[in-house]
Amino acid sequence: MSSDMVVRKDLNVVTTGSQDYVTVRLAGQTLGIPVLGVHDVLNAQQITRIPLAPEWVSGVLNLRGRIVTAIDLRRRLGFPPLEEGKVSMSVVVEHNEEPYSLQIDSVGEVLSLDNQLFEKNPVTLDPRWREVSRGIYRLEKELLPILDVDKLLAFESKDKAA
Amino acid sequence: MDDLLNEFLTETGESIDVVDVELVKLEQDPNNKEVLDNIFRLVHTIKGTCGFLGLPRLESVAHASENVLGKFRDGELQVSEHSVTVILESLDRIKEILAGLEATEEEPEGDDTDLIARLDAIAEGKDAAPAPEPDTIEGEIIDPGLGRVLKPGEVSLAELEAAFANAPGPDEADEAAPAPSAAGTSGAQKSLFERVGGEDTLAVAAHLLAQRLEKHQELGKFFASVDAEQRKGRFMGLMLALYKDDLDAADNVGRQLVTVSGFSEQNFNTLIGLVKDVLVECQVDGDTADEAVMSFELVREAVLSASKAITKAETNKAGREAKSGEQAAAGGESGKRVSQSIRVNVDLLEELMNLVSELVLTRNQLLQITRNVENSELGVPLQRLSQCTTELQESVMKTRMQPIGNAWAKLPRIVRDLTVELDKKIELEMLGADTELDRQVLELIKDPLTHMVRNSADHGIETPAERIALGKDEGGTITLNAYHEGGHIIIEIKDDGRGISVSKLSKKILEKRLATEAELAEMSDAQIQKFIFHPGFSTAEQITSVSGRGVGMDVVRSNIEKIGGTIDMQSVEGKGSRFAIKIPLTLAIVAGLIVKAQDERYAIPQISVLELVRAAQNSEHKIETIKNTPVLRLRNRLLPLVYLNEILGFMTREEIDARDNKDDFIVVAQVGTFTFGIVVDQVFDTEEIVVKPVAPILKDLEIYSGNTILGDGSVIMILDPNGIAALANSSAGDHEHEEEKAHEEAKKRTVQDEKESMLLFRAGGTNPRAVPLGLVARLEEIDISSVEQSDGRLMVQYRGALMPLILADDNMALKEDGRQPVLVFTDREYTMGLAVDEILDIVEDKLDIKLASDRPGVVGSAVIAGKASEVIDVAHFLSLAFADWLKSRDMADDVAPSRGVSLLLIDDSDFFRNMLKPVLTVAGYEVKAVSSAAVALRLMEEGYMFDMVISDIEMPDMNGFDFAREIRDGSRWAELPLIALSALATERDIARGHEAGFDDYVAKFDKETLLRSLSQQLKIKGDAA
Repeated sequence: MSSDMVVRKDLNVVTTGSQDYVTVRLAGQTLGIPVLGVHDVLNAQQITRIPLAPEWVSGVLNLRGRIVTAIDLRRRLGFPPLEEGKVSMSVVVEHNEEPYSLQIDSVGEVLSLDNQLFEKNPVTLDPRWREVSRGIYRLEKELLPILDVDKLLAFESKDKAA
Repeated sequence: MDDLLNEFLTETGESIDVVDVELVKLEQDPNNKEVLDNIFRLVHTIKGTCGFLGLPRLESVAHASENVLGKFRDGELQVSEHSVTVILESLDRIKEILAGLEATEEEPEGDDTDLIARLDAIAEGKDAAPAPEPDTIEGEIIDPGLGRVLKPGEVSLAELEAAFANAPGPDEADEAAPAPSAAGTSGAQKSLFERVGGEDTLAVAAHLLAQRLEKHQELGKFFASVDAEQRKGRFMGLMLALYKDDLDAADNVGRQLVTVSGFSEQNFNTLIGLVKDVLVECQVDGDTADEAVMSFELVREAVLSASKAITKAETNKAGREAKSGEQAAAGGESGKRVSQSIRVNVDLLEELMNLVSELVLTRNQLLQITRNVENSELGVPLQRLSQCTTELQESVMKTRMQPIGNAWAKLPRIVRDLTVELDKKIELEMLGADTELDRQVLELIKDPLTHMVRNSADHGIETPAERIALGKDEGGTITLNAYHEGGHIIIEIKDDGRGISVSKLSKKILEKRLATEAELAEMSDAQIQKFIFHPGFSTAEQITSVSGRGVGMDVVRSNIEKIGGTIDMQSVEGKGSRFAIKIPLTLAIVAGLIVKAQDERYAIPQISVLELVRAAQNSEHKIETIKNTPVLRLRNRLLPLVYLNEILGFMTREEIDARDNKDDFIVVAQVGTFTFGIVVDQVFDTEEIVVKPVAPILKDLEIYSGNTILGDGSVIMILDPNGIAALANSSAGDHEHEEEKAHEEAKKRTVQDEKESMLLFRAGGTNPRAVPLGLVARLEEIDISSVEQSDGRLMVQYRGALMPLILADDNMALKEDGRQPVLVFTDREYTMGLAVDEILDIVEDKLDIKLASDRPGVVGSAVIAGKASEVIDVAHFLSLAFADWLKSRDMADDVAPSRGVSLLLIDDSDFFRNMLKPVLTVAGYEVKAVSSAAVALRLMEEGYMFDMVISDIEMPDMNGFDFAREIRDGSRWAELPLIALSALATERDIARGHEAGFDDYVAKFDKETLLRSLSQQLKIKGDAA
């Protein structure tokens, strides 16, 4: 219900310049992902582990015949692993024409956010976060860092980071 | 008109590509009539179609080159480099115009008179002399040795004279060049059909034609088989199609026009003459009639080839189909257009492939479901579906496969142009052009390949003068070779040019600050050479128009890596370079064996699986360990094992060993020549899997070759046995690995640390004895009752022959009954059994013989696996068994104390390497044994140094004589004592050996002489120093 309200309210400011984001929850933190980059949102999936892969790769999953590499966002961003018994959800994005699934705790809502609320990363932000965050929106109740999916998935140079 | 133009552009583009290649062929082999005919025909078709479509510029250029080609064909002109260059130029012009046409649908503006004039001049035989054009360089090469001018493939004066004399005047009423100017330029707006007078006129004309042909002297017999009505119908149809621009229909009708064999070009000319007469009679005006007749040229091919096909069918009915298929594929003879092919959009094929992949997966899923349902009605239809799917899948796969030759088609032309431009002589050799690969992959490697060949021609191959100065052949060779290897395609690009100069490269690296001097000093030559793959690297001192445009090998490499391939390079300065591109056949559907480890399933490509063995504690097969190394006795061979659980990091070895219920499955896999077992928890069945490449982040994990979706929808990883082998045991495996390892350890003297697999056994005492495992051919247990005595010696019938049996120790005796363990040694035709009391173990340890022995049959004592063991001398036992094998003598005393002297031993026989190594080791030498001269030379290039080299003579690829010459010819090892070792030891051989540069020549089986020779050479060397 409340989400309806939010969307409708913010639709009014679309004209003044705003962006749409999907919010996701990750270990108590809310993050935004640009909505245009999101291909799918999936419930818990069967994920095949890949031994010897970097630890932030949770495995691979089958999305309607496509093989999608699942990224454990908690590990990637330095959170503790999900508690036993809880299952993660997937947000499927694409990077260099390869599909990746970001494993998150839960999906929130779609927000249309005014550009004026956007701010650059504070310089004191954890370097691991600074690397993958585009910037931060000041929402009423909390702050919303925006994930830079391309940077997040540009592993080539950051293999050692995790 | 759009469609027609499109079709024309595609087809003409293809024809031109073919002509490009054929022309280069023709230049090399000017008398090849077939090639010439083919070129002529293609150019002719282009010209004909241009005229038809009203493209005057194209037509006039094509016409002029056709003229020259016609003269070649009729033998009036000689094929020369100059004329070919000009024709190639005209083809380029045609391409240019075509490109313009494609962009704007109109012929671009331009002036071709100069080109046409030159072509005409050649046609008239006036201008075969050195070119007036600056861009066709006629190189003059001064031979430094001879000091005179060389002529690279030019036409001699005498030929010129002859050509000139033979040239007929400017008037050539050549049948192949009818009405070049009349057609097309005017009135193209109104269709020919209307101008001719519509259907009515055509009906009358067709009727007249049909009538006349019946009684026609020359043509009558070709049309007698069908009645007048049918004949009329066919001509009517043909003309309608032609004049309404429906070329496909015209082609079809044209094929049916003549159904009798033997219809010749001449007949066709007569026929169109007749058509023209009839049209004029029907009051069609002259120009239009000409044009109408011209359009018949479009079906000339079809009519003639149809008649020819009949000829072939009559003479060789059985062979015809296959042959015409082949011809079509090769773009060869007239059979080409008979083949039934259509153009299909590539995207459509792509989509089809994806759909089929999905279909396969769904089929598998269905099969999985019905497997669990009993007596299902679905069974039969499903089976049918399954079969159809498989067939469909195969067919679709086939549509995507193309011979790699397609990607190479442009290369001969490119190389040919380069030879002219760079003034070099280069031959392009292409092997394995019919190796097929996925067209998608093919498209992607086209450009990198072209780039690399250009590079080889430009930077690699030296100019003839340089080559002569270096003592090489004047002409360089670039070799392309493609072949399949274990699910990959390997493409090699080799040249025998100057190679990559390490010093030049180093300078450049420093200049560009890609590495510091200190870093460079640490690197091997090969590592430095790999810098050419660094972005923005071009080694040519001067940037030429050919290559070196700032984009270099890094682009090539990234393009290849994009499709999951790798590129490797070896280069020897002064000798040439070799690039090897390895491309996986992704997208392929393969059979995979599904196995389980720790609750996860994995697929192993069936192609590398040899067999499955079940191992349990109490079964016939059980896993044994030799100092933590698990092995399996399999048919008297020891099979090294790896635990999948361990490799994947699920369990440590301790955990594996500590399991209660050991019930394992062993997948026996083969990688190259290396066979090993992968221990898995469980084996399921084989499934067809669609290999999908792994995500880029997982590329580095070499134990996976891809992943796939199984029938039940789950994703599993596909294991790569190559990667497992490499991970499990980097020292095991084929020579590649051996070399790779040698490579890494370059310059470090690791000779002393090399480990040997030793077989431990007991015979006549409690102390273990050892023999290098490599020497043992088989382990047998022989029934005592089958041992016989003959000529006072023990014999046993073994594999259909008598095998002498020798006791390993004088103190031991054969068992009373039961089975006696026997080690079987084989050397060429000699096979002997060595009876021992007990086989103890196999260990891998450093063979470091501490105490030499003078007891016959014993090389010395060594500490093996922590115990003092006697290392036996197999040669001694072989000589006991076979008097002629080698005369046994005590080891001579005059062997120089030679500890610390390093030897390189080259022998292609594993047996000898393994036998000589302990013998030489015990004499105090440090021995490095390699299997071929090539490997030895590589060691040399990598900076190894030895005190002496012992080489076999009879070896594949490079024999000992050649090797010696190579070494003596100013190499780093030129000063080393070189000893030849050969079974051929006649005086002639010895003389030959000395001539080649060997210091001494020793018969292969004469251990003692060899040792003596070694110390002697060492002494000489010492004295000299």
